[in-house]
Parts: sequence; structure tokens; C-alpha cells
Amino acid sequence: MDDVRTTVLDILTDLTGSDEVKENPDMNLFESGLLDSMGTVQLLLELQSQLGVDAPVSEFDRSEWATPNKIIAKVESMK
Amino acid sequence: MAIANIIATIDQNAQSFPKRICYEDQGQTYSYETLKTTSDRVAAFLQAQDLPKGSPVVIYGGQTFAVIATFLGAVKAGHAYIPVDTHSPKERLIQINDVAHPGAVLEVESLPVTLKGTEVISAATLKAVREDTTGPTAYDASVSVAGDDNFYIIFTSGTTGVPKGVQISHANLLSYVNWTLSDFDLYPGIRALSQAPYSFDLSVMDLYPTLALGGTLVALPKEITDNFKDLFAALPELKVNEWVSTPSFVEICLLEPSFAQAKYPDLTRFLFCGEELTQKTARELLKRFPDAEIYNTYGPTEATVAVTSVQITQETVDQYNRLPIGQAKPDTLIYAVDEHDQKVANNVNGELIIAGPSVSKGYLNNPEKTAKAFFTLDGQQAYRSGDLGFIDDQGMIFYRGRTDFQIKMHGYRIELEDVDQNLLQVSYVKQASTVPRYNNLHKVTQLVAYVVPNKNDFESDIKLTQAIKAELSQNVMEYMVPQRIIFQDSLPLTANGKVDRKTLIAEVNNS
Repeated sequence: MDDVRTTVLDILTDLTGSDEVKENPDMNLFESGLLDSMGTVQLLLELQSQLGVDAPVSEFDRSEWATPNKIIAKVESMK
Repeated sequence: MAIANIIATIDQNAQSFPKRICYEDQGQTYSYETLKTTSDRVAAFLQAQDLPKGSPVVIYGGQTFAVIATFLGAVKAGHAYIPVDTHSPKERLIQINDVAHPGAVLEVESLPVTLKGTEVISAATLKAVREDTTGPTAYDASVSVAGDDNFYIIFTSGTTGVPKGVQISHANLLSYVNWTLSDFDLYPGIRALSQAPYSFDLSVMDLYPTLALGGTLVALPKEITDNFKDLFAALPELKVNEWVSTPSFVEICLLEPSFAQAKYPDLTRFLFCGEELTQKTARELLKRFPDAEIYNTYGPTEATVAVTSVQITQETVDQYNRLPIGQAKPDTLIYAVDEHDQKVANNVNGELIIAGPSVSKGYLNNPEKTAKAFFTLDGQQAYRSGDLGFIDDQGMIFYRGRTDFQIKMHGYRIELEDVDQNLLQVSYVKQASTVPRYNNLHKVTQLVAYVVPNKNDFESDIKLTQAIKAELSQNVMEYMVPQRIIFQDSLPLTANGKVDRKTLIAEVNNS
């Protein structure tokens, strides 16, 4: 499980270019402007290639994926 | 089919089939008759306002019918329009206002900022004008935009941090629209996706050809595309025949396995512009939509939306690792030159020069930048694109990058120097150089800014990064804010003392 957390946080750090996601895993990535549509696409692609998680994009509701912790919980539920 | 006048063609459609739908916005529909009467009312109202003759007007609004009707109203009244999308930052509105000296700002939606010295026509007034079914519709059509008069002016990023207004005349637009009507296998009554914001000239690819064909524009605003769940709920309901977007946007849609012919049987035309269409994306799209025609196009805003096109087939993707951008439209000459302005041989890279009737007369109120980028060639207006490419023996053109520091990210054109200039305005920044980070498909995925900060009290680089991004986003579009900021004590310099951007580009792309 820790692997998932580490991997997701690493992906987010790379995409947002900020360690903030590790220090403040409850921050809203969309409202803070750290993640936009294209960043979201890259996130989904990285989750697929690094963790084998196929998150259905058609059910991707921003509110459910808004913070690093929420993303980790989502990914863990799909593993 | 070739048309002679854009306004007259759209009005003729309103006469021929008044009840046909021209615009659809989340289930709300508007007929051609409504488009004509609404735009006539706006034109009559504007002509009664005593605006400086022929002055451009800023039109502020989103992806709505009211905006389209106001565009048409403005050109009918004899004023070019400057489209500014509601997602633009305040500072951009101020900059555009300062450069353009518009005759008025028309608020389809309320401005977020006060513009000094410019007449503002309020959202409430304009709404009343549009909806007053007994209001005057008669206007003086002899002063409507025609010939070399500006039809629209779209602002792009400039290297000094000040945006440049590209002036597109009726003649420029007519050349573009007639080519689109003849070369893309579009048909009367077609339903076209209208996803690109109207302040981005890609939107013109759906807007005027569709209205000329008596078709329906189907709006898909940013509020929906931003949340993928909403996007994929809306998409199949749009029932569009023609797709116009950047490759980046279709790449989002391709993440969804059901985005394919079976679920979208009516979707048979794809038109791409704004950035490189990769072989990978084209291959996937051909697999998903085997019956569709896919067109790759290329063109700077300065030459009106697009000037090359090619249909991408299975053979094309099998033949080329990097897809061609196509052949020049028939009325346009494209060639490549070396650094001494000499034409280069076929298959040799050079700067692409575009000459023809769709090339702009230049930048609004900016003779210096106009003289640098535009010239006349055998009586035709010509533009130095700054794009690097080559032309093969068949006249097929291939894009290979930029000759300067302009990049495309997700379809948005960004001058790296523009980002730098704006970063330098940020109080915490002493020196800055912004560079693109590429993925393995040569696409820019991130902007990375190298910054030498001023002395500051921030406890960490993260806090400083946040403060810089917050201040920067007051002044520039969201897409121009670098994703990552790397702090340094100094920046590498070239032999002649300029910041060595190439070294930084190499550094960021090798890590």
C-alpha cells in the first residue's frame, strides 16, 4: 500500500512540479491550479503505466480526485 | 461552392431556411432567423452609438449564441471585433484595451475589471437589445465590413510581454472559408463541434464554414470539458458530424474506449490544427473511426487559421513517423528559406514563408513588429512564420519546430520570452528563463522556469513558487504559467552575454 502512496505522490510531484503535494496531501489540485485537463490526462496515463490502474475517464469526476489523498484512495480501491 | 461575402451568405441562409438551427448550446437551440434578427438589432444599436468610424470593438463573452450574434452584429455595423474569452485574466483585457484603443467594449458577460477611457456597453443593455423583438433591425449595410476592412482581430502572445493583435480582413477570411468549403468534403447542414474558445483562431475553423454551409454549431464549453465525467456524458449527445479541435483535446477523448464509430456513428470528419498531430494519435483515431475522414492542417493566426491540409489515411501513418502538415491551399505559396532569406532546395529545412490572400495586413497599431514579420511578394502579402520545415518533391510540407523561442503547448501558442518578461514583473523575481519540457513524441508537456529570486523571507522554495505563480497568474493566461520553477543563484550565459536558453532546454530534457 505504501508503494501506491509513494508512486502516486511521485507522479503528482513530477506533473505539478511541486513538492507541495507531499507536504500537503489534502490540498485541492484543481483549485490551486496545479493540475489542469492535460495534467489530468498525464496523471491517468502514468497511473496506467506505473501501477496498472485503468481509471475509466468517463467516470472521472474532479471532486472525487481533487486531492493527493483522494487520488491515493481511488487508486488503492482499484488495485 | 464558393461564396463572395460572408455576412451576405449567412443572411441568405436565414432567408432560405429561417427555422434551421444555427447554434446549439446544452440543449438550447437558435435558428438562422434568430441569428439574423439578433445580429441586425445589435448592428442597428451599434450604428446609433456614434462610435468612431471603423474602430474595432472588444467583445467579451464565452461559448454562447449571444457572442456569435454580437460578432455578426459588429461586422454588419462596420466594426471589426476583438474576441476576448471570459477565462482571460484581467491584465490581458487591460493590455488588449491599451494596444487596440477599441471604439467600445461590448459586454456579453460582465467585465471583471474597469477599463479606463473606453466606452463599455453593459451586459444588461446588450441583452435588452438582443431580446427586444420590437427593436430596430435596420442598419446601413453600405458600411458593413468588406474587402480589406478588418473582420476580426485576434491577440496572440508577443515576445516583449505585450500581446500582438493580428488583423484579419474580410478578404483574408473569405479566402480561408472558400478553401475550407471546397477542400474538406464538408456538406450543407453539417453539425460541427464548437469547442475551441472564440478568442483562439482555431474556433474560426468551425464558425464561418459551418454558418456558410447552413450547418449547426454545437457548443462544448470549458466548464464541461474540464470535468471528464461531464465531458463524456455530454459528448455522445452532441451528435456532431464534424470535429474541430487541437490534437491534445482529441487525445483526452481517446482515453475513453467508447469514443469510437459505434457510439458516434454520425461523426465522419475530423479537422485538426493548432499543434502537431502525432502518428500515434492519428493511428488510434483511424482504428476507432475507420469510416471517418481525418484532416491535418497547419497555419499561423497571421495567415488566417490554416494554409495547408492533408487527409491522413492508413497509408500516411504507415509512411511517415512524423506526419506531413499538407500542401498549400491553391491560392497560397509556401516555401522555405535559409537565414539569408534564400530559398532552400526541396527536402531541406528552412523557415516557412507564406504568401497569399489569407495573409494578414499585420499587427494592429504595431508597425515595427509588422515590418519585421510581413512583406510583399509579387503583389501578395507574405509572412515569415518563424516555423521550421521542409517541402518534399511532391509539394508536401513537413513541420519540424520553431526557428525562435515560440512553442505550442496543448494548442496554445506561447512565446517563451513573453513568459520571461511577465515573470520579471513578479516582485520576487530577479532573472528568469522559461524552457519547454518535451515528451518522447516531441510535444511540449510542461513549461519549466529557471528563476534567480530576489532576497526573500519565504521559509521554503515551495512557498516562494506558490507566491510567484499566484502573482504571475494575475497577468497571464493560465496556460502561460510554468508548471515548475527551478531556483538558481545565476543563469548560464552565452558568449555574447545573453541567457543561454539552449543549455537550459538541454538540461531540462535530459533529466
